[in-house]
Amino acid sequence: MSANVYLPKLAQVISVKDEVGGVRAIKTFRTKFLAEGFTHRCGQCAMLSVFGKGESMISISSSPLVTDYLQFSILKMGRVTSAIHDLEVGSIIGIRGPYGNAFPIESWKGKNILFAGGGIGLAPIWSVLQTALLQKKDYGDLTLIYGARTSPDIVFKEELRDLKSKMTVHLSIDVAEPDWKEFVGFVAQNILDKKPSAVNTIAITCGPPIMIKTCIKALSEIGFKDEQIYTTVENKMKCGIGKCGRCNIGRHYVCKDGPVYSWAELRQLPQEY
Amino acid sequence: MDKILAKKDFSRWLEALGAYDVYAPRLIDDVWNYELAADPKAISLDYPQTAIPAKKIVFPQREFFFEFHEADTDGYELKELLPGGKPAVIFGVRPCEGKAVTLTDLVFGGEIKDDYYWKRRNSAVLVGLACASPPSANCFCLSVNGSPHSKEGLDVLLTDLGDHYYVEALTDKGKKLVSEAGAVFHEAKPGDKKAAEKIHADSEKKLSRELKNIKDVPAKLKGMFASPFWDDESMSCIRCGICTYLCPTCHCFDINDEVESQSPLAGRRVRTWDTCQFPDFTMHSSGHNPRPDKAARLRQRINHKFQYFVEAWQNYQCTGCGRCITLCPVGIDIIKVVEKVRDHVS
Repeated sequence: MSANVYLPKLAQVISVKDEVGGVRAIKTFRTKFLAEGFTHRCGQCAMLSVFGKGESMISISSSPLVTDYLQFSILKMGRVTSAIHDLEVGSIIGIRGPYGNAFPIESWKGKNILFAGGGIGLAPIWSVLQTALLQKKDYGDLTLIYGARTSPDIVFKEELRDLKSKMTVHLSIDVAEPDWKEFVGFVAQNILDKKPSAVNTIAITCGPPIMIKTCIKALSEIGFKDEQIYTTVENKMKCGIGKCGRCNIGRHYVCKDGPVYSWAELRQLPQEY
Repeated sequence: MDKILAKKDFSRWLEALGAYDVYAPRLIDDVWNYELAADPKAISLDYPQTAIPAKKIVFPQREFFFEFHEADTDGYELKELLPGGKPAVIFGVRPCEGKAVTLTDLVFGGEIKDDYYWKRRNSAVLVGLACASPPSANCFCLSVNGSPHSKEGLDVLLTDLGDHYYVEALTDKGKKLVSEAGAVFHEAKPGDKKAAEKIHADSEKKLSRELKNIKDVPAKLKGMFASPFWDDESMSCIRCGICTYLCPTCHCFDINDEVESQSPLAGRRVRTWDTCQFPDFTMHSSGHNPRPDKAARLRQRINHKFQYFVEAWQNYQCTGCGRCITLCPVGIDIIKVVEKVRDHVS
């Protein structure tokens, strides 16, 4: 690893997949380092560079067990993510990292895992989900409760279809559509509707801030203790190493001390995220 | 042993330091700042507080990380732009600024080191000047674990004894700096040390202001996070950010790309100072802002300095220089804010 933490490593885009179209477009990119890269843990992020545009912190959505590529699913939002959306197969980007802590999945072996995601919030937990699927015998029941605004806004559409043969999957959309057979409502409401068992189960939730808050409330209502609930927090970041001063929640820097928190930990911090 | 230096020989010391970039307080356009000392004979250490603290020399307001160029092979060529060149020697550093550098050392050090900061920091030599009398009307270093003659972070400490300086070389870097101009110094006599000690003791009685009994403030702040207190205190803030830009302990920064040529693409990645007092400092691209108003941002400034930093490093992230008070255009006074926190009854 380069001693200079701010110098990105060059990587090539090896695949681009359209997940969602329209003004809130989402694409999934797979990248391969040109030279030596790095290994990551589930839940960690990387700082992606489009030279001339700048950097953006993005969670790594591929499993650490997959070593051929790093995968990022990215919502087109600002200057840098818009530039990333313009990339094609063969484009060169910069990547530095990995940053932050990780989901303590080793300590979850033997437990059931409930994944609760909304919108692009499936990306950070996808790495855990894929890892658990690859080591299925080490874990108990795997359940996904995932929702998006409308059915076209659902990410990983093909993967979710395949997933149904491997684990329990409950989908939802916010407002009814003619051909939609599954739940209509928010992810938190779907949690209350399906009432997954909290016994020997870890719940991971990620999505927009309001969804995380309502999901944690719903999970608590159906018996999950604070220590059983995990989430991953996002904040604006520049350095990724706890120095630039903007992603802090109290004395914690999300880039370094987070982004993964149990609700037991997060609720101790100021409500400033 | 400790030395003395006649004031008339001061410029000879500066002239002997050709191996360094020599910075000293200079008055330019009515503002005192640490600037390159082009003419050693024009340098005097008879100056008040500078506007910009000495941190700008180890952590410049703007610096380059690397150049990027579109290239035929591998898409891009990156050229690291680590600081090089002569080491800096900074004359006239106030003790509160020397202490402040020991605090930014904590931030830029740790598990992951910031090479750009440390390249400058490791080679820089800080020649401090004890404050015989407070250089600003808002000095309160004694209240925040400092003193007008503190040696923390300094390599040499000078004390003004009238027609000469009492010179204490405190570190290896400081001893080297003194030995490099050996002939201009003379051995200090016992009377010089006594005189310096008296000036130090007297200076503690001359502090312009104080901020007393603040040991419970970190705990107090924790309980005041949701208090309307912050709305009241931040009402007059105009979000100019000068309190943080010119704070010797503030270290927040931004990283951006500057493009010099579009085709083929070429440019530089740049780090610049930034401030938690700007609304878009924390604003997500979605528009969500964890610190959406002036109240949340003033709270962040005070909490960082008097709670979060204390929790992380057991020290206040404030060395009592008073710049944020002196320079605030609307009169927000950190001493008064912290006193109100101390006296707050919830």
